[in-house]
Amino acid sequence: MMTELMDKLKGEIITQLNLEDLKKEDISDDSPLFGDGLGLDSIDALELIVLLEKNYGIKIANPADGKKIFQTIRTMAEYIEANKK
Amino acid sequence: MEAYIRGTGIVSPQKTFNTHDFLTEPVEYTTNSLRCIEPVYTEFLNPILARRMGRIIKMGIAASSICLKDGGVPIPDAIITGTALGCHEDTEKFLLAIIDNEEQFLTPTSFMQSTHNTVSSQIALQLKCMNYNFTYVHKGFSFESALLDGMMMLEEAGIHNVLIGGHDEMTEKHFKITSRVGYWKEENVPTMEIINSKTEGSISGEGAGFFLLSNQKSETDYAKLLAVKMIYQPENQKDVQSEIIELLKEKNLTPEDIDCVMYGISGDVRFDDIYYNLQKAVFGNSTSVYFKHLSGEYQTVSSFAMWEAAMILKTQTIPVCILIGENKKKEIKNVLIYNTYMNTYHTVSLLSKC
Repeated sequence: MMTELMDKLKGEIITQLNLEDLKKEDISDDSPLFGDGLGLDSIDALELIVLLEKNYGIKIANPADGKKIFQTIRTMAEYIEANKK
Repeated sequence: MEAYIRGTGIVSPQKTFNTHDFLTEPVEYTTNSLRCIEPVYTEFLNPILARRMGRIIKMGIAASSICLKDGGVPIPDAIITGTALGCHEDTEKFLLAIIDNEEQFLTPTSFMQSTHNTVSSQIALQLKCMNYNFTYVHKGFSFESALLDGMMMLEEAGIHNVLIGGHDEMTEKHFKITSRVGYWKEENVPTMEIINSKTEGSISGEGAGFFLLSNQKSETDYAKLLAVKMIYQPENQKDVQSEIIELLKEKNLTPEDIDCVMYGISGDVRFDDIYYNLQKAVFGNSTSVYFKHLSGEYQTVSSFAMWEAAMILKTQTIPVCILIGENKKKEIKNVLIYNTYMNTYHTVSLLSKC
């Protein structure tokens, strides 16, 4: 279940963030999304917040939580599992 | 008020992003909508940044980079652009998202990239250039407004060089909408035969043309820009002709001094007589050239014409693919560009050999 969700998330992130040169296989489950990992930035963080709300109905009430939630694909998937409506 | 054209950079439906090649292999299309031949953007942009940019932003950044490199100026004293449609593709994306998602879940990227001044601001961000930055959005006068501002800045603002650009893109949706009001030909005409077309509508185009203007002469300048004029909805063609003659007088020139006239002939039977009448009445002895069969029609197309004019003056050659009739002059000293967008916006630019 978690593997399927992570795979789906990778596809959605590639589309939403226009990561045209990347394939799902290029994104590891546990590599950092920001900084040295995938190299995402603050605008991408806003895009990910919209993605969670639009695709999973999850609103992040406290923006400070974003740092933990968007750490890796796995942390995102765990957060979705725990909070999806 | 004059300025030297020191550098050029242009992305168009022709292979123009190599500044040394002057239409040696013109590309012929058989379609009523021309798209730009785009360079490999990784040469100009970090791929991480490029992924967020729409096509026109990337075209603008590439054209401006080529231009600055060509002119040998890493950071200009001002960046001024003209555009009628701005970043149309991203504007469409953002507006469609508003409708599709019932005004919810709006993402920041298309919003940030959808404003008309995104190209000039992205160029500034790339260059870390904090100087004067302005974008003119005046339909068929957009590019000329940017030129005029640039020339005034060089005259009065105590600066030495200005990056000027004109850019517009065509999208599928905008093409469909403007087709419905008769802007474009219903049939596909080979572009090299557009001059003989007797039907209504032209072929749509797009492009990004940038110029580095300076108030200091250098040995590598392309040409000198002497004057720019805009005429809005003239009452008749004689008014335009008088305005052009008056402009020449201001520069101590007569029609006889104009060696080459570049006409915005678009194959639209409603408007092309405007050019032929000017040719017959005023510039019968000048060499005639046209350009929209290579670029298509768009509001800032005169930036493409200005590139051709600058190249003609620098290389002293006129490619056969843009000639109407024969080249009547051995030396090209003065070139006049005359264009109208839908017979509403009439623009004139005068350039001379350095």
